[in-house]
Order: sequence, then C-alpha cells, then structure tokens
Amino acid sequence: MAATIAGQEAAGRPEAADPILSFRAVIKRFGGATALDGVDFDLYPGEVHGLVGENGAGKSTLMKILSGVHTPDAGDIVLRGQSVRFASSADAKTHGIGMIYQELACMASLSVAENVFLGRQPTTPLGIVDWRRMRREAAEHLAVLGMNLDVTAPMGSLSLGAQQLVEIARVVFSGADIIVLDEPTSALSGPEAERLFTAMAGLKARGASLIFISHFLEDVLAVSDRVTVLKNSRKVATLPREGLTKHRLIELMLGHEADALAESYEAGIALPPLAAGRPTLEVRDLIAPGVAGVSFTVREGEILGIFGNLGAGMTETARVLFGRLTPTSGDIRLGGQPIRPRNPAEARNLGIAYLSENRRATLFPRHEIYKNITLAHLDHLLGPIVRQPAEVVIATQSIRRTGVRPASPMLPAGNLSGGNQQKVVLAKWLTRQPKLLILNEPTRGMDVGAKREVLDLVQALKAEGVAILLLSTEPETVLAESDRVLVMSKGRITREFAGERVSKNLLMAHA
Amino acid sequence: MAHEVPQGLGAPAGERAGRRSGTEDALRWASRNARILAPLLTLLCMVIFFSLATDVFLTTQNLQNVVTQIAPIAVAATGVTFVLLCAEIDLGIASVATFTGVLAAFFFVGETIDLGSWGIAVALLIAALIGAINGFLVAYVGIPSFMMTLAMLTIARGLSVFVSEGKPIFEVPPVLKSLGSVGSQVFGVPVIGLFALAVLLVGEFILSYTKFGRYVYMTGANREAAEMSGVSTRRVIMLSLVISGVTAGMTGLLFIGRLSSANPAAGEDLLISTIAAVVLGGTSLFGGEGGIRNTILGLLIFGVLSNGLNLLPNIPITFKQALQGIVLLAALLLNVFALRIERVRIRAD
Repeated sequence: MAATIAGQEAAGRPEAADPILSFRAVIKRFGGATALDGVDFDLYPGEVHGLVGENGAGKSTLMKILSGVHTPDAGDIVLRGQSVRFASSADAKTHGIGMIYQELACMASLSVAENVFLGRQPTTPLGIVDWRRMRREAAEHLAVLGMNLDVTAPMGSLSLGAQQLVEIARVVFSGADIIVLDEPTSALSGPEAERLFTAMAGLKARGASLIFISHFLEDVLAVSDRVTVLKNSRKVATLPREGLTKHRLIELMLGHEADALAESYEAGIALPPLAAGRPTLEVRDLIAPGVAGVSFTVREGEILGIFGNLGAGMTETARVLFGRLTPTSGDIRLGGQPIRPRNPAEARNLGIAYLSENRRATLFPRHEIYKNITLAHLDHLLGPIVRQPAEVVIATQSIRRTGVRPASPMLPAGNLSGGNQQKVVLAKWLTRQPKLLILNEPTRGMDVGAKREVLDLVQALKAEGVAILLLSTEPETVLAESDRVLVMSKGRITREFAGERVSKNLLMAHA
Repeated sequence: MAHEVPQGLGAPAGERAGRRSGTEDALRWASRNARILAPLLTLLCMVIFFSLATDVFLTTQNLQNVVTQIAPIAVAATGVTFVLLCAEIDLGIASVATFTGVLAAFFFVGETIDLGSWGIAVALLIAALIGAINGFLVAYVGIPSFMMTLAMLTIARGLSVFVSEGKPIFEVPPVLKSLGSVGSQVFGVPVIGLFALAVLLVGEFILSYTKFGRYVYMTGANREAAEMSGVSTRRVIMLSLVISGVTAGMTGLLFIGRLSSANPAAGEDLLISTIAAVVLGGTSLFGGEGGIRNTILGLLIFGVLSNGLNLLPNIPITFKQALQGIVLLAALLLNVFALRIERVRIRAD
C-alpha cells in the first residue's frame, strides 16, 4: 500500500522543476496536542494543489504556518530554494504568499478598483491618489482573470463569487505567486464556481502556484493537478489527479482507525427502526436565501441529524425556523399548526429553542451566569418583577442539570471555558422545556468530556419527548446521536438515511 | 452591576477560599466592583478636599445648594442612563427640556391655547412623543441614535423659539414654582431634591428589578445575543428613548419652576452636564454596564465639583470652567484605569 502511494506520488511530480515551496517534516504542537506531526508538502510552479482532510486533520494549521500566523516547532520550510521562517503574516505576504479566506476581507462600501488596490493605491508625484491609473489598472487586472466589470461599482453590489475574484485579483497583483484558497467554493453557485476554476486555470498558465483547500471533493478533483490528503495531523499521500476518485479520497481521509468507535462508523452503524412518534416539525419545500427547496419532518422524541459542509444551507434552515431569516416560500408546521415565526421571540413562544453555531452571538460574557440563563424565559420564570434570589435558585438548578463548571451562578459567563459557555446557553433554553430543540454545531471545539455531557443531555431530552434537530459538519456527531440522518449540499437535501446502515463514507459521499 | 452577593454564592470562593488570604479576597472583591468603587473613591476625595480647603462647603445651606443644583440634571440623567445602557445616545435632552418648559408656560399663559396647569401634562406628553419618534426612527428604521437625536436637538430648539416667538415667558404654573424654588423644603431637604431622588429610585427599580430593566442591560451588552434569546431589542431601545424624552421634559419643567420663567434660549449646557454625570458615575458608553447607582455617584461628583470650585478662594473666576473640565478628565481617567484592572482580573480568574 505504502509502496504504491509512493510510486504514484513520483508519477505525479512535474518533470525537471524544483518545488517553489516545500515543507520538510514540519511539526506544530499546541499545548499537549499535536496539530502537525512531521508533514512534508511540495508545491511546484504552475500547479494547482488540492489539500483535503477531515476537520482537525491539520489543514488550517498548515496554512496558518504558511501565512505566518503560526511558526512551526520543528522542521523546515523551503521557499524558492531558501529556508524561511515567517515572523508575521505581513512577512509571509512580502514573500509572495497570498491568502484568500472563506470570510472575504474586502471593503463592501469601497469601489472594486479601491479593493483591488487596497493599501497600495497608486499616487501622483504630489502624493494624491491617482484615480485614473487605479481604475485603468484594476480593469486590466480583472480582465486577466476573465472579469469584465465596472471598477467604480461598490464591492458590496457584486455577487459573492465576483467579490472573491476581485480579492484574488488583489492578492495576485500585489505580487503573490503562491495563492492559497481556503474553501473558496462553499458559498458559490455552480456557474460561479466554474468561473473561479477558469480564473484559477488562467493564473496557473501565468506560472502561479495555487493551493486549493476544500471539503467539496468534486471541486478539488475538478481543478487540482495533485491532491494531498491529511489525516490526524499527518500526511497520508500526495496523488496525481489522474485516476483519483472521490471514493478513493474519502477512503484516504478516513483511513483505517484503530479506534473501535471510528471503526464502527467506518463499517457503518445501523440506524434504529423508524419511530412512530407524532411529527413535531414538518417542513415542506422551504426556499430561502441559501436554501433551495428543503422538506423534512422531526418527530416527538426523535433526533434528526443533518450533515453537510459549510455553506450547505443548514444554518439558514435553522435561522428560518427560529425567525431570524425570512423564507421566500414553503410550509412550516409545528404540532400540525402552520407557523411562520417573524422573530426569535415568536419562535420561543411557540416552543422552539435554538443553540446557535456562533457562541459570540449567544453569550453575555461580562454578565453573570444566572443572568445568561434566565434571560430567555424571564417572563415565564419570574413574572414582571425580577428577584435575584429566585433567579439564582432557578439558574443553580439549570446549572446542575447541564453540568456547568464551576457551578457558580454569580461568575461572569466569559470566565468559563468554551464547552461550559455552551452548556450555559443550553441551560438557558432548558429553563422551560422546548417542543423543538435546534442544535447547530452543539459540540464544536469542545473536549471529549464536555462533548459527552452535552450529548447525554440531548439524549435525555429526546427521552422526554423533545423533537431535536441536530445540524453538524462533523459526521461523527451526527452518526453517533441521530435516529435518522439527512445530508445537505448546496441548499438541498441529497440523501435521507433511515432504518438502514450508514457510514461516514456514505455521508461524505453525498455532501 | 454591583449586586450585593450573599457570601456563599460568591463565585469560586467556595472551592478555593481556604487557600486564599483575606487581602487577596478583598482585592478580588474590589476589582469586581471597580465600576462602583472608582467613582465612590473619587467622590470621597473631593468631599474631603473641599471640606478642608473651604469653610463653607460642609454647611447645611451649601449642601442644600448642591442638591438644588444637581436635582434637575438628576432627572434627565435617569433617562439618559437607560439610553446609554442600551448602547445608544440621546443628544436632544437639553433642547427637549427647554421645549417642554416653554410649552408648559405657553399653555399656562394661554394667549393661543389655554390649558392652565393641565398644560404641564400636555407638555410632558409631547416630550414622550418626541422620545417615541426618536425611538421609532432609531430602533425600527435604523437611523443611528447619534444622528437622529442630533436632528431632534435642532428641531426641538427651533420649535421652542417658534412657540415662544423667541421671547422668554414670565408666567409659569405655580405648582412648578413651589416645586422648583430653593425655599420649598421638607425637614431641610429641598423638595426638588426629593423629587429627583424619587425619579432616580423609580429608575433604579425598573432597571434592577423588572424584566424590562434586564432587557435594557442585555440589549446593550450584546444586541445579537439578546435578540437570539427572544428579547425584542427594538422595543427595548424605543422605550428607553421614550423614557429619556419624558425625563428630559420633567427637567425642563423643574427649570422653569426654579427660574419662574421659560426662556427658549436657555438650558443648552444641560446636555453636557447630564452625559458627563452619567459617564463619570461609571456607566459604559458602549452599553450593558453601569446603572442608576453609578449615575447617583456621578451626579454627586459633578455637583460637588461645580459647587466646590466656586467656593475656592484664590482661583480666578475666569479659569474655573477650564479647571472643572480638567478635574472631570482626571476622574474619567481614574475610571478607565479602575475598569482596566477589573477586566484584567476577571480574565485572570
């Protein structure tokens, strides 16, 4: 096996060229955890190099080292034949490394031309911005990428895909010849992604080297010359695109774990037979920004897991159900009654609770834990008069139930660890039993113990008859907790698994 | 917020108190309550300084003066506290106060519309309506409160001049005169001071003991999170601006009572005094932290300082305003440093 991989690797290497960038046995540790364990990585001039791996495999750490955010603990980075170590991201930039992050860093209110020349506007000899030259050159730069647009238009008026290309233009024409694209296609429509691939091919033809990081394996296969697979902080293989399939990539990404639990996902786990509970939530043909016609049902005492990659439309679906996003059309029923919550207060009053994926949008870090917990049902818990002792009693019960540590209701919530902050937010929604609990990435970034506690609590709620919608980009979480599993991709449900065997491979193959 | 905390509940004290010294506990307590202790310390220093530096500061009559001076500001400051806690601002308070006073006098004189003393209620209703317009346009339409209330400042000022034809009105409802005059006292306390205290206490009750009060804090602390917890943050912001309009209106009524006339050109320095007092007390301009207890301390600091500087001998009268500004700046710096210590310690916990 190892021998064949090595053979293929040699075959995919472009002839007669030295790599422009090489990682040699790079090691990076954070505290006790090893994020990169002796990783080798070569990038050749004029190559598009795909980088894939599960969440936590080490992709982001590798790119953060390349972009100067982190420094490696051991190993070498060789750039154009010279050993380098970047002191900062500015340093990496001056070495010709350009990053395009998933969250675009553009200025929506400035013009396209200003964005292309962000931070290095051409000036006249008098030190005044040379607008005419800026517009002309911006238009030229964009034309190279196959873009023909009004450079005086505000950036915010462009589609996300167009903004991304403008950002690429900025990075390329500020002198970068190694360009890293992190999940660039997750928010793009099909034609927009095609346009991006064309632009990438154009850059490649001009001799630039591109690293393409994505969960969307079809996209990786469509655009890369070679693909490197990372797993558990190590490199599994670097393979040429020819002959590579999505199935093979998934196999390499998941590998053959010694871990018994993971092995069971590997072989697939059997979902329980369909429960016959009454439907709590019924969604029919829901269309909203990012959601392209979704139908599903969650029953009483059932956990419906939805797996998908970032940008699959899961968060948008949840936001519609919680009254934070207005749907274009569709039918939503709760307990048989049609509902259309216009704001979270209405959704809450209907018995819907939502644990957002964004903890910053749910926590009051400078306020006491008890205030965080009682807020959602203040009226119901206490009536119009707020009495601190009564609040603390309620919060203490809630803390005990969710296992917040330290169990001190007077402590500012910001003092807690991430996992315990999440428990506080969950405790807030459990001061009154919800009919429907929507969990969006409930355990992201939590250690194993805290994760187990939160998920045990979710199982207990299920046993009490709460309908639970579990959204996650982590296939393990969805597989371990769900009674039924849906897979979402680009705003649609691509597959439903019920009463059958399902594995991580299968989930990822449909995402 | 500095709620009194029952000992046993005092955070991680329970688990680790055994190993920690008393001084460390005291320091921890002080850093957690820095937002209230810093202005308290400032106030104490000023009182001690002016008591020693002048003969008259600690006399009953002078203290009555201090109370009478800060009472009208205190009423407006109550409403401003709500608005600042929401992380918004109301720049229109001084003009709304003047306009309300002019309206009350205008209705009382009754050349055009004769409402007698009922004009007071109508004037206050109009102040509330102004607050509601501010609130609606800020919370529901999305005009930043800074710009909205700046516009309202100009509108209200213009309307005062329009209604009064630019001239002071020298007849005011007698009930306001008896409320506002320095002479009206109960057990040696000026009635205007008692009135202001009552308004402050109602404000404290709402902010600390009602659902709406909690929503005000949480909206200011993290609007997105409040919204995601089912708080109608728009309604909270709108109501806070209504409250601010009403309290500004009441301040205007106290002013015309104290001066026995309504002058459309007067009262503009109320804006700076009020916001200075609230912020000096430690209420955050960024919302979510502070409260009426802080505002009371800020008012006292402000009142003691303006009064005390006037009593100091050997300071040229022309320099006093600049000096007042410098001392206020020093007090603000103390606040900032105290809160920085608080933040560092909370992170270290």
